[in-house]
Amino acid sequence: MAIFSSTEEMYEVLGTLWRDLLSQEETGKKFQEAGIVIRFSVHSPDGELWLFPDREEKVVCGKADGKPDVEMFLSGDDCHKFWMQELKLPIALATRKIKAKGPINKILKLLPMLKPAYEKYPEIAKKHGII
Amino acid sequence: MYLDLNTDLTKEQIMIKEETHKFAKEVLRPASIELDKICDPEEMIKSPILWDTLKQAYELGYHTVLIPDTWGGLGVGPLEAHIIFEELAWGSVDFTVSLAVTCFPAFFASLLPNDRLIEEIIIPFCEDKKASFIGCWAITEPDHGSDQACPFTPVFHDPNISGSCRAVLDGDEWVISGQKSAWVSNGTIATHALVYLTVDPSQGMAGGGICIVPLDLPGVKKGAPLNKLGQRALNQGEIFFDNVRIPKEYMLVGPDSYETLLDMTLATANAAMGAFFTGVARAAYEEALNYAKQRVQGGKVLFEHQLIKHKLFNMFMKVEAARQLSRSVMIYNYTNTPPKIEYSIASKVFCTNAAFEVASDAVQIYGGYGVSKEYVVEKIFRDARAALIEDGTNEVLMVTGAHHL
Repeated sequence: MAIFSSTEEMYEVLGTLWRDLLSQEETGKKFQEAGIVIRFSVHSPDGELWLFPDREEKVVCGKADGKPDVEMFLSGDDCHKFWMQELKLPIALATRKIKAKGPINKILKLLPMLKPAYEKYPEIAKKHGII
Repeated sequence: MYLDLNTDLTKEQIMIKEETHKFAKEVLRPASIELDKICDPEEMIKSPILWDTLKQAYELGYHTVLIPDTWGGLGVGPLEAHIIFEELAWGSVDFTVSLAVTCFPAFFASLLPNDRLIEEIIIPFCEDKKASFIGCWAITEPDHGSDQACPFTPVFHDPNISGSCRAVLDGDEWVISGQKSAWVSNGTIATHALVYLTVDPSQGMAGGGICIVPLDLPGVKKGAPLNKLGQRALNQGEIFFDNVRIPKEYMLVGPDSYETLLDMTLATANAAMGAFFTGVARAAYEEALNYAKQRVQGGKVLFEHQLIKHKLFNMFMKVEAARQLSRSVMIYNYTNTPPKIEYSIASKVFCTNAAFEVASDAVQIYGGYGVSKEYVVEKIFRDARAALIEDGTNEVLMVTGAHHL
């Protein structure tokens, strides 16, 4: 059974997580400096999540008007595992568990910035009854 | 400086090239020439020339080319990395290989970080300006050389073929025993090793693991430094592990993803070798061209003799082709995961072959002086030879690459 029971639940959880992360001064600044628009294309449940470092609305859950610099294709379960630190991104990319288009080295550079989100995610997931 | 066919280079990229070339010309090349003269490799690693040079390279951050700035590394993109590697190797491929492998433990830790690795490996390495944190890549063993570098080939899964250096989990620690062979670059001067070893022999080579081993732990011994044909300023030597215990957090990869990460490692390393040996080929070509425009034989400079002109143009073509291939490969493979290993192998094989052929032609153009230690082409020729074997012999790599066609 999929971790996220619906697209709406997934948006609620991941949207909250990303908005929280990008609102932090240092992290938000680093993402803005990186200047890359990221689109996560998720299946099971189906959905998409966009990160726009330069826009006022930095996180968009659902379709958005934009051109992604990097696209990542993954399952909802793998999103969850990534934030639970059960899935390492370089290995997931190398084994094609997660597929990516675009300069992935720019994403890997941002990994150190994700620490606050790793710490927050279990709390958010628990609040939504996912764990 | 050569004509760069990439007309989109930014001012910053041009500056990186010029600064790195200056360092290579003024520091690396003279140092490597002096170290090359030292007959006893034990004396070479004690030489202040080695350590002063490494220290200067560390101060400029050349030990962190592959590490993102978010971790404290130089944080350059793949094109800048290629430019840096080509220039450094133009000066001295021995120092360049040393500076490239020194980052292996920290580089891999940065891909698969945990709190302990960040605090104990990544940050100390990136902050080091004194060349006191030296890494190495320990993979080949006395019984397993190039056959360690064949991921995704049938032989890699043969349960009758596996490495002898093994790790066994004991509580919260891995216990390592075995030996890594004499080709470990930085082997006898390293403080930390990125070790590729066997965890599950029933899976053959595919049952491997990748871990970081601090080399001051009980049970670690190092062999004598290798005395060799070329790249003599690059220390190499054996490392022995006798029930060495490392914390669980230092095992980065297990058998479930070993083959994939080995493939990534080889793609990264071979792409870098392509860049290095473009620099070596260019160094030999430039020496030969300069000499040919000065040396007079038969009443005119060598350059005016048709066969020499023809030879030089052949060398020029190889250098230019090496650069274009190796740059494209590095840009693609350092940007995409998974990388395309067959392209990295093509780059390594082509560029190392080109460097050896160009260096050999350079020696020939110098005539008798080409085999004299008075001129640097003799050293460049010897430095180029090892590369046909280094990081996997070219013949074996080509068969590995062909599996992906």
